[in-house]
Amino acid sequence: MSSTSHEVAQGPHHSGGAAPSALSAHSIVKRFPGVLANDNVNFDINAGEVHTLLGENGAGKSTLAAMLCGLYQPDSGYILRNGERISLPSPRAGLQHGIAMVHQHFKLVERFSVAENVVLGSRDLNFRIDRNTIDEKVAAVAESYGLPIDPTAVVGELSVGQRQRVEIVKALYQGAEILLLDEPTAVLVPAEVEKLFENVRAMTAAGKSIVFISHKLGEVVEISDRVTVLRNGQVTGHVTGKGSANTKELAKLMVGRDIDLAPQRASHPIGHEILQIRDVSLTLNGVDVLSNISFNVHAGEMVGIAGVAGNGQRELADTIAGLISPTSGSVSIGGAMSTDKGPIHARELGLAYVPEDRLGVGLVPSMSILDNLLLTRDRDFVVDRASLQPEASRLIDQYEIKANGPEHVARKLSGGNAQKVLLARELSGGRTATKLLVVCSPTRGLDVGAIETVRRVLDDARSAGQAILLISEDLDEILSLSDRVFVIYRGAIVHETPGETADLATVGAAMAGLSSTTSEGHN
Amino acid sequence: MRAPFRLVFEQRSETPKYLAAVVPIASVVAALFIGVIFLFATGYSPWETYSNMFQDGFASSTGITDTLGMSTVLICTAVAAAFAFQMNLYNIGGEGQLYMGMLASTWAGLALGPHLPTFVMIPVVMIIGALAGALWILIPAYVRSRLGTSEIVTTLLLTYVAANFINHYIYTSGSYFRAPNTMFPQGRLVADSARLDPFGTTNLYPTFFFVVLLALFLYWLVKKTEYGYKIQVISDSPRAAKYAGINANRTTLSVMLISGALAGLGGAMLIVGPVGRLDPGITALGYGYAGIVIAALARNNFSAIIVSGILFAGLRTGGEKLQISTDTPIHIGVMLQGAILLFALGGEAFRRYRIKTIRTKVVAQ
Amino acid sequence: MNDNIWILAIANSVTLATTLMFGSLGALFTERAGVLNLGVEGVLLSSAISSFLAADASGSVWVGLAVGAIVGALLTCIHAGLAVILRANQIVSGLALVIFGTGLANFLGKPAEGKDVVTKLKPITFGPLTDIPILGPVLFKHDIITYLAIALAIGASWYLFRSRPGLELRATGDDPATVDAQGLSVANIRIRYTVFGGLLMGLGGSWLMLAQSAAWHQSATTNGIGWIALALVVFAGWRPMRLIFGAVLFGFTLQLPFTLQAEQIDAISADYTKMLPYVATLVALVALSRPSRVNALGAPRALGTPFVRDER
Repeated sequence: MSSTSHEVAQGPHHSGGAAPSALSAHSIVKRFPGVLANDNVNFDINAGEVHTLLGENGAGKSTLAAMLCGLYQPDSGYILRNGERISLPSPRAGLQHGIAMVHQHFKLVERFSVAENVVLGSRDLNFRIDRNTIDEKVAAVAESYGLPIDPTAVVGELSVGQRQRVEIVKALYQGAEILLLDEPTAVLVPAEVEKLFENVRAMTAAGKSIVFISHKLGEVVEISDRVTVLRNGQVTGHVTGKGSANTKELAKLMVGRDIDLAPQRASHPIGHEILQIRDVSLTLNGVDVLSNISFNVHAGEMVGIAGVAGNGQRELADTIAGLISPTSGSVSIGGAMSTDKGPIHARELGLAYVPEDRLGVGLVPSMSILDNLLLTRDRDFVVDRASLQPEASRLIDQYEIKANGPEHVARKLSGGNAQKVLLARELSGGRTATKLLVVCSPTRGLDVGAIETVRRVLDDARSAGQAILLISEDLDEILSLSDRVFVIYRGAIVHETPGETADLATVGAAMAGLSSTTSEGHN
Repeated sequence: MRAPFRLVFEQRSETPKYLAAVVPIASVVAALFIGVIFLFATGYSPWETYSNMFQDGFASSTGITDTLGMSTVLICTAVAAAFAFQMNLYNIGGEGQLYMGMLASTWAGLALGPHLPTFVMIPVVMIIGALAGALWILIPAYVRSRLGTSEIVTTLLLTYVAANFINHYIYTSGSYFRAPNTMFPQGRLVADSARLDPFGTTNLYPTFFFVVLLALFLYWLVKKTEYGYKIQVISDSPRAAKYAGINANRTTLSVMLISGALAGLGGAMLIVGPVGRLDPGITALGYGYAGIVIAALARNNFSAIIVSGILFAGLRTGGEKLQISTDTPIHIGVMLQGAILLFALGGEAFRRYRIKTIRTKVVAQ
Repeated sequence: MNDNIWILAIANSVTLATTLMFGSLGALFTERAGVLNLGVEGVLLSSAISSFLAADASGSVWVGLAVGAIVGALLTCIHAGLAVILRANQIVSGLALVIFGTGLANFLGKPAEGKDVVTKLKPITFGPLTDIPILGPVLFKHDIITYLAIALAIGASWYLFRSRPGLELRATGDDPATVDAQGLSVANIRIRYTVFGGLLMGLGGSWLMLAQSAAWHQSATTNGIGWIALALVVFAGWRPMRLIFGAVLFGFTLQLPFTLQAEQIDAISADYTKMLPYVATLVALVALSRPSRVNALGAPRALGTPFVRDER
């Protein structure tokens, strides 16, 4: 595979022994203010290999990847390419050495065409750009790796999976031999993941090296030739050999202790209907965002809504919360109509709402925890902050929020602590006791410890008899918490199943719009 | 090609308190230094200019009262700008709103003055001035809150329209506002009942204490009340405001109208105070623009505005007297204002970031 | 009234469009890179007086134009430094530039007060072409700088949409993180176009002074044209070709009071007709902000936001 014959330094975990690794990093140290992001990290990859960097959010894997592609520079340590020492002062230098990164948040200009995006920044581009020429060139490169794509399509109109393909084509077009894929499956539905893996196999067969960066133990690990686990900036383990990784063992290497993310279901009998949605349809700017949605959520029950982002779930949550008025249909909370009456009225009926964006929607970033608690409560004309102090302190203790006190500014909270503040506010009730909790992607971007806490809080709320609507793109989360699961696709509920017996493949297919039968008769 | 070193911005987690005072002071000093260069290059003595300015602005008894008198309208236009800034709205048309406030309160002073006693007239003139200022921002405010039209250019464009109104009413012969039988076009003095007496022989009017109280009231309004709470939520994250059921459109409208009213009030204060008539010279004074600078220098903090407003008034009174006594261009004052603001903005970076230069090092030796 | 006044009015519109074209082309390049420079008015004024002083001292209109353009570029360097390097609030920085530029211009303009513009830019005569009725005065009676403005706008359109640096420029205004990930320097691109924009604005201010004005009238020399130029960029949807059309349209409102005065038509007070450009601009801005129009306009997505690489 690797054709170079230089006999220089060997990677620390070099598998072959003869040829040097395509890329290796040695004793990498990187510090950020207050954090040691990479502590003496070693890593290597061979040509034609898939190597996964596994670790939690904040374990340092993205930092390492950023140094491998030239986005950051290590404080100490060195990087070898085919056994030769290289320096990567910029992403451009990385590209010159054939190293490219596909970011989790795609670096694509939405208004540009596919071809324009692919050629942007390319060195061999002429001063004058001829549309037809670049379209042909891009299409040819894409075709040669079995990644067909329309070069004239506008990126803003493509699906997430297609955009990812554009990113990969862009890297290949620029001559990448080593591709770093940052959380590539996080945004994909199972069917798209399959397609991605096919592409990965095609690329490795052509001699490319793929580095997966992931915090998920699932599929990515399966197609990896090797896995390196990072925790707190240090390498905590290696696993070699396709399919030989033990999930439980890897989890422990990642987190440093045993974790329990076992499924949780309602343990108490389910009560009466709290949330009733009747034939809700919504048209925004001429587009049907929601169509004929009907379902109920009962006291003590958690209903999960799975779906790929942008299929109407955000609007559904906003409609329930009174932020959007449906075009037709009705929403009632605790038996009282809440349609068209606004968010404050919905809250008076017992609604609590944890939106998808914690900072910026659920919390005001520049405000203190205390002021953020006031956001969904009644306020007098002269705001009485003093009398809220004791409660704020109590909630900080109760939810184990790491903060200097009620005056701690929301922006400076970690993702997990911000989510706890949000849950604390929503569940502690302001205007009325909480009857219905709507939560969107409650654990996205959190580390395992915080995920455990959030799941426990949600389960406790369910046990306390609250009705919970869980909206998430994270299928694992939906399946392991929900008593009933709905799948939303293009604004309609296309699948319903009990949580306990839900099948990942079927639900995944429904999320991708592949369900043959739209299930009937949700209650 | 790469520079031998590069700048690194490290976000400060905590801004040192001393920087809050150091940055504005350093900005003023740096701007004065720029002024030295220009004065020197154009053949004036920088030292003489500045010492005269300081003498006339701060260091004599008439200087101080003149400065405080001048600061009255400046604080008013500054709080007008700062109030809109609280919600990230940029009312840069305070200048025009001030003209219209002046025009309307002159009308009130001329038309109603002869019929009403002073204790009624003063509030009436001020309210009418404020209403005119609010009216002048009504269209930008409405389209900003309804359609999202950027208020920056719209408020400013209306300043030019307002200036044409002022000119029209002063230069048109037979205008209601024009003093009859004068060689040079001049405004007609409003009735005595519409004017306040200064303290003794100074140019300081009771309105100064009123604006100080006004600034403190606005501070309280923004920091302690539910209205201020809403403003903070909307300015930081409009989506959080929507989430919490706060009506951002209505608040936007009201904040802009209040901002316009405050600028209009500044115009009214000129009528009940030192000017007393429609004065064509007003369009050359730039009180409204100065207000923006003062507000920015005070980082939109209402109590700090009182201080920076007085400081600026000192620069201006000093500059004006300079013009009379030594023929140094008055515009050095306006230039200094702009320079101070530019430096203050640059200084902001030092408050937010710790800026380091590092040598560009290559990883491989 | 006769036909002549309309031909004259249209010809004057094209003439007055020159400053608008330079000012708004400058702003367009700046904004396409994602930087908002509200300081146009200040730049126009400073470059106007600089060009006057330079032309007066040297006796050459070209020296005047060059000095004016350089002053424009130098002034915007301040904005580029603050907005791009120090990541200051671009709106406030632009305003500061207006205030500083106005003060500087009036300070420098002291010796120019009461002097006439002697060294003037003359229109080109195209011989028989100039004498063609209607078309002659409208198209063939301008000076070289007016034609340069039109040529620049056409060139800018090609550059933006058909060249490699144009592609990079548009990407920088829309999505700087993507440009950064490609290893291009966002700061470099932004500074370059901001300063180039200032150069164009400076040229516009100098032209206004040396071709159009009789004397230095302090702030009244430009009288808000810089703000209209900014609105014109929005009006043109950040596209140079539409900008030519928009500039002539707004040029019409600007020349109207003068043409009416020259023709001694005084049905409406000149004080009111002078309001027309500002009111027309305001109306245009409001009309363009109808929600249905906003997306179609194509404002650069990252306009006015400093770029900070996301370092944890």
